Amino acid sequence: MTTTMDRTASAGHSAKSPLIEKLNVFTAFGLGIILAVVFYVLAAKLIPEDTDAMLIHTKHDQIILLAMIGWFIGFMVGIGALIGPFRWLLGKDLSHDENMFYAGKDLGTKRYFRYTTDHKVVGIQYLVTTMIIFGVGGILAMLIRTNLGNPEGGWIHPQAYNAIVGIHGIIMIVGTIIMITGPFGNFVMPIMIGARDMAFPRLNALSFWLIVAAIPPILSSFFLGGIMTGWTAYEPLASESPAGMDGYIMFICIFAISTMVAGANITATVVRMRARGMTWNRTPIFIYGVVASVALALPAFPVFFLSQIMSAFDRAMGTTFYNPAGGGSGWLYENLFWLMGHPEVYVILLPAIGALMEMAPVFTRRPLFSFNVAVMGIAGICGLSALVWAHHMYMSGWAPLLNGPFMLTTELISIPTGMLFLVLVGTLWRGRLWLTVPMASIYALLWNFMIGGITGIYLSDVPADGALHGTMFVTAHFHYTLMGAGLTGAVASLSYWFPKMTGRMLDRRLSWVSFWMVQIGFNVAFIGMFLVGLAGQPRRVESYNAMFNRGNMVTTAGAYVIMTGMLILLFAVVDSWRNGIKASDNPWFAKTLEWSVPTPVPLENFATLPVVTTDAYGYGKAKS
Amino acid sequence: MSQETTHAHHEHPDVVGSRNRLGVILIIVADVAMALSILFVYFYLKGQNVNNMWLPTATEEVPATVPVSSMGAFYIAIISAFGMLLNGYALKGAKAKNQSQLTLGAMIAFAMSVIGLVYQIQQMNSAPFTMRMGAYASCYYLIAGLNALHLALTAFISLGNWNRARLGLYKTDHWHVAIIQVWWIWMTVSAALGAFALSFT
Ligand code: HEM
Ligand SMILES: [Cu+2]
Repeated sequence: MTTTMDRTASAGHSAKSPLIEKLNVFTAFGLGIILAVVFYVLAAKLIPEDTDAMLIHTKHDQIILLAMIGWFIGFMVGIGALIGPFRWLLGKDLSHDENMFYAGKDLGTKRYFRYTTDHKVVGIQYLVTTMIIFGVGGILAMLIRTNLGNPEGGWIHPQAYNAIVGIHGIIMIVGTIIMITGPFGNFVMPIMIGARDMAFPRLNALSFWLIVAAIPPILSSFFLGGIMTGWTAYEPLASESPAGMDGYIMFICIFAISTMVAGANITATVVRMRARGMTWNRTPIFIYGVVASVALALPAFPVFFLSQIMSAFDRAMGTTFYNPAGGGSGWLYENLFWLMGHPEVYVILLPAIGALMEMAPVFTRRPLFSFNVAVMGIAGICGLSALVWAHHMYMSGWAPLLNGPFMLTTELISIPTGMLFLVLVGTLWRGRLWLTVPMASIYALLWNFMIGGITGIYLSDVPADGALHGTMFVTAHFHYTLMGAGLTGAVASLSYWFPKMTGRMLDRRLSWVSFWMVQIGFNVAFIGMFLVGLAGQPRRVESYNAMFNRGNMVTTAGAYVIMTGMLILLFAVVDSWRNGIKASDNPWFAKTLEWSVPTPVPLENFATLPVVTTDAYGYGKAKS
Repeated sequence: MSQETTHAHHEHPDVVGSRNRLGVILIIVADVAMALSILFVYFYLKGQNVNNMWLPTATEEVPATVPVSSMGAFYIAIISAFGMLLNGYALKGAKAKNQSQLTLGAMIAFAMSVIGLVYQIQQMNSAPFTMRMGAYASCYYLIAGLNALHLALTAFISLGNWNRARLGLYKTDHWHVAIIQVWWIWMTVSAALGAFALSFT
């Protein structure tokens, strides 16, 4: 460390700009709430009343959206996001001491509540936030499953049920998008490539706090009448939804900015900041998974952003992008949504597979089976995933002539996906297995993703989709991929990198108990869902015909097992973080760079930057 | 866009510059995706002409929607192009260590962004239709709105650039100006793309 200056010595400096030191999460929430109220009151006063002659009433949505914009501005100002840009404007760039303050030097736990730029702090912030998001989404899931425990459904009002299903869906999607790239992409990745920090540390903090700013709008949706569209927010139904839809819109818009910022930052970091000697051939496969994911998201999320801006204008300004009465089209929305939506599923999946591919050599003590095939698989998925979006629209009546070509491109994705399977199975083949939770997760992924992928091929078949579209079969399919594959990879990452992030081992017994409960509960729940889906139970409906009763009982029972397993994991995380067994610097004897630095990792990771001479999988030659 | 790393004092300005340049290009990639989607929206709705409401005909209460000439949008692109050239002139000055050329170019580039912004807002205010009057009108405001947003951003960036030039912050390295040039190019291209779309009615 070159800077050992203590805080008193730099006090003279900081006195010049005490503002930086005053702002934190409390000022952010405070200013956010104040501006929201101010905007609300002013808008209610100043905006003219809707007249009866207007076809579309807009005042209410204008008020709500303006209040949320007020919240957003207030929050970002209050957290200090604008200090950097304005200092640049004034030509008074942040001094070294100020940058060190931003990096959280000597701030202890306070740095977790500030606009801190140290990637390790941001990683922990993401981890906790992701867990909170999953907690909320999980509660909503249990409400859904409990309601579906008997055929009459009944105790949740249908409109409330719609809101619960839709908001469960979208916040879980956001949770899964950030669950690996956020915590591990931030904490682990820069160390793994031998860098001192991300390329743009302030953008890193920005991407995190944008997510925090996005959450209150979506939660407020419950108090504004909810949404009735499900997570996809199809138009023109979205324009007919109550003001809760505005919460959804703000949530997505803010989240999309966060994704863009994070994507640019992570990509630039990996391209420009790898250690000397870390050629692309020597770059760990996890890095490929993360970069592929954010590189897909980078062009995809602006499309989502735009689709929601247009929704907002249709609702609040009376434009007619999606309103057929004024020349708009619902198909336009569906196209924009799925242009983002299908790449997005791989945004979620690729880091998970990348992480498990990173762990496979460690726990089999063998080199990764064909690094090149893994890279080709990832690249192939990225390329194809932009060409398949209309498989979500077969039954919508849009361009029936294109159904054939889209069926072809969709089924082609099985090829690069198969390559990733091959890499994992090939690495396991005759490996000397060290059976840890991450190792078992690789098996779980292979099992779950096989089911998820193969049912995907059924769905991509146009005639089969005619029967299956809109049923619980689709719901089961994407839970197998998102949860069975994606979340499994994230939980494995948590137990794998927990020692480096917290300095302690994740409790072994509890994480095994949790692993088995979640995996068994999951398979019980969603096999049940496949069966009722095949029999024709529609999705997103709060009651159903009595013939589906047994399958739903099974699913609900499975869901309770998952919940219990997840609560055990949560307990294990909290308990081990505080009192777990102290971890050594490299408890798994792994060869990637993050294990070569001491735990806890010092502020700028490396005393001297490493030079890389081999890839990270040198566990001896495979004997097979 | 200032020195982002806590260790900038260890790094050569060219390293920091090239990293920042890549970051800005990646953010522009995202913006390109959005701009292209807007073109998609425009041509999709124009092609579909749902219920003949791309350009609604007159009814008893509402007059027909008459499209505006795309010249206004092309003028915005031309103003942006001037801004781009002036920033390029400033960049040349910075490279030649000619402080007055740098400051002058940066200042007029900033002026261009403000002129463009004001002119764009004026066009939106004087359009002969509201955004409620059919799909074309909605799309017109979308394209104009994107321009206005871009120009506002450009104004912020080029104001900072001028100020920093004035303060002599580009004496040792000028990668900021070079990166801002990348943004100006995209500003011009995106304005021209919008104008191109609007020339089909
Ligand atoms: C071999 C790979 C896959 C194929 C062929 C495939 C195919 C499909 C098809 C055709 C649909 C549309 C079903 C319908 O609406 O009728 C669908 C839905 C879906 N898939 Fe996949 N899929 C695959 C992998 C994945 C993966 C990896 C994920 C996520 C990580 C995923 C997530 C989803 C989601 C979220 C939906 C439903 C969206 C909705 O309607 O709400 N799929 N899949
Ligand atoms: Cu898809």
